Amino acid sequence: MTTPTPHAIADELRAHIAAEYLAGEDASDLTDDFDIVASGVIDSLGLVRLVSHIVTAYQVPVDDLEIKPEHFRSIAAITELIVRHSAPAAA
Amino acid sequence: MPSPHLADAVGAHRERRADRVALSCCHQSVTYRQLDDLTSTFADQLDRLGLAPGAVVCVPAHKSPQTVALLLAVFRKGLVALVPSPDLGAEALARLSRQARAVQLLGADERGTLSAEPIPPDETEAAGFAIPDPDRTRLLLTTSGSTGTPKIVPIPADGFTAFADWATDAFALTGDDVALSYAPLNFDLALLDVWTFLRLGAQVLLVGKEQAADAGRLAELVSGRGVTFVQGVPMLHRLLAQGPSQPTVRQAVFTGEAMPADLLPPVFEAYPEARFHNVFGCTETNDSFVYEVPRTPAPQARMPIGRPLPGVRALVLTPDGTPLDGPGTGELVVSTPFQTDGYLRTALNERAFTEIDGRAHYRTGDIVTRGADGLVHLEGRADWQVKVRGIRTNLQEVEAVITTHPDVAEAVVVALPDDQAGARLHARVTLRPTAVLTGLGLRSHVGARLPRHAIPSSVHLTDQPLPRTSTGKPDRNRIRDDRMKETATA
Repeated sequence: MTTPTPHAIADELRAHIAAEYLAGEDASDLTDDFDIVASGVIDSLGLVRLVSHIVTAYQVPVDDLEIKPEHFRSIAAITELIVRHSAPAAA
Repeated sequence: MPSPHLADAVGAHRERRADRVALSCCHQSVTYRQLDDLTSTFADQLDRLGLAPGAVVCVPAHKSPQTVALLLAVFRKGLVALVPSPDLGAEALARLSRQARAVQLLGADERGTLSAEPIPPDETEAAGFAIPDPDRTRLLLTTSGSTGTPKIVPIPADGFTAFADWATDAFALTGDDVALSYAPLNFDLALLDVWTFLRLGAQVLLVGKEQAADAGRLAELVSGRGVTFVQGVPMLHRLLAQGPSQPTVRQAVFTGEAMPADLLPPVFEAYPEARFHNVFGCTETNDSFVYEVPRTPAPQARMPIGRPLPGVRALVLTPDGTPLDGPGTGELVVSTPFQTDGYLRTALNERAFTEIDGRAHYRTGDIVTRGADGLVHLEGRADWQVKVRGIRTNLQEVEAVITTHPDVAEAVVVALPDDQAGARLHARVTLRPTAVLTGLGLRSHVGARLPRHAIPSSVHLTDQPLPRTSTGKPDRNRIRDDRMKETATA
């Protein structure tokens, strides 16, 4: 499997968050560094769902993930997390 | 209402105040002589219906001098009037009528002709509803139904008399006063701005739905008719504050919802000669608290609901039901000299009323704080406290934070049921014309000021005004229902 580029991961996450957590709302200012935790877009229940999405979509083993809100604070942070955990498999 | 004495008092004004205007609306005026003649005509027509003494009749609250005369005739003939909103759908109207055992649906047209339509009795529908006692009450109002089906509230005749006495004294009312009657006739506010004024032989200017949102027309009516007494929700005062100054107004009463602080300076300017009172109450108890608003309020200070009216007993209960002695926060429970004997549907009374020291007290469902100085502040509805992910959250507090954003004109936050979170918050926000605020920006604004659980899960930003009820309050039920329909079809 080809590892997607960080840019593609970020875009996919943006689309996923807009569809799942901001149903129907304008998400044009959902930038890579927008704080999705402090703004309440992802709450504690949302975090569980988001982790599940990352595990399924990017085949990151859940045991490898440190599930702390700060790792999910922004699209950039999640992208970084996915890239870090995907790197060994790609090597 | 309200009472047989009221019908007699209005009859007596025919002798001494025959040519004074009793009632006016935008296109006609009725003097006390004409009002009494009209009342007698309706009374004769009621006689011909052959109704049993004390029978209940349904009179939808159309805002016209003819409807007021018809109600006076009903009071005079010893009948009981059920007065629902004229906007009620046919089915809801029929159901209320059957619950109250109303035997006729009555109406009065512009020429003073009575229309009467018999209502077939339905004992199944009336089961569990008390039969109104004409010695105790001549008027049945309903709650607004904001929490479900409207509840029928009998207004006690002696309670009305006590209330009219208080209002006359508190606002120094005389037969020379002119009231702007802005609220619908089926609202308890009419006990003051219609019925108390007619008892005094004063003048009542009836504002219909057509003029209710027309700032220019309202200003013309107030100055043209020399209105001295204005009672209403903040929206009414906001509309009048847009117009010229109104020096004839000598009493302005704020009621129905909290008066926004930014509205006070323009309102003080709009009524340069007036005294200002905030009154607080509900259909079940009528007014229970009053606060005279000083012309120079302390900056940033929240307006209190004030202190109990004379004869009103007000308790602040802790969650376990113990009355607080001194300062503190809890549910407001009141007993007023004006209050109903209970809902017509008797099963509701056990929860709504509680006997303390031998007096029936009404549980308002309002959360209040009593300060060391005895002044009481409204914190919100007990049912406006919702639990989001198990954490108690006050919807009004979230609304207040959203409206501090400079791009926001007004906002309502409602709770939607959620399988996982218990409740989730939805905000409907009206933006100012030049606004650049986004849904994410609004979440960050709230997140910077309140705990996470208070951040709305969904945000609807619009340039359209909030939907409002007939009395100008934000229509929270509609906002919630609209959102639930949207998500159900999504």
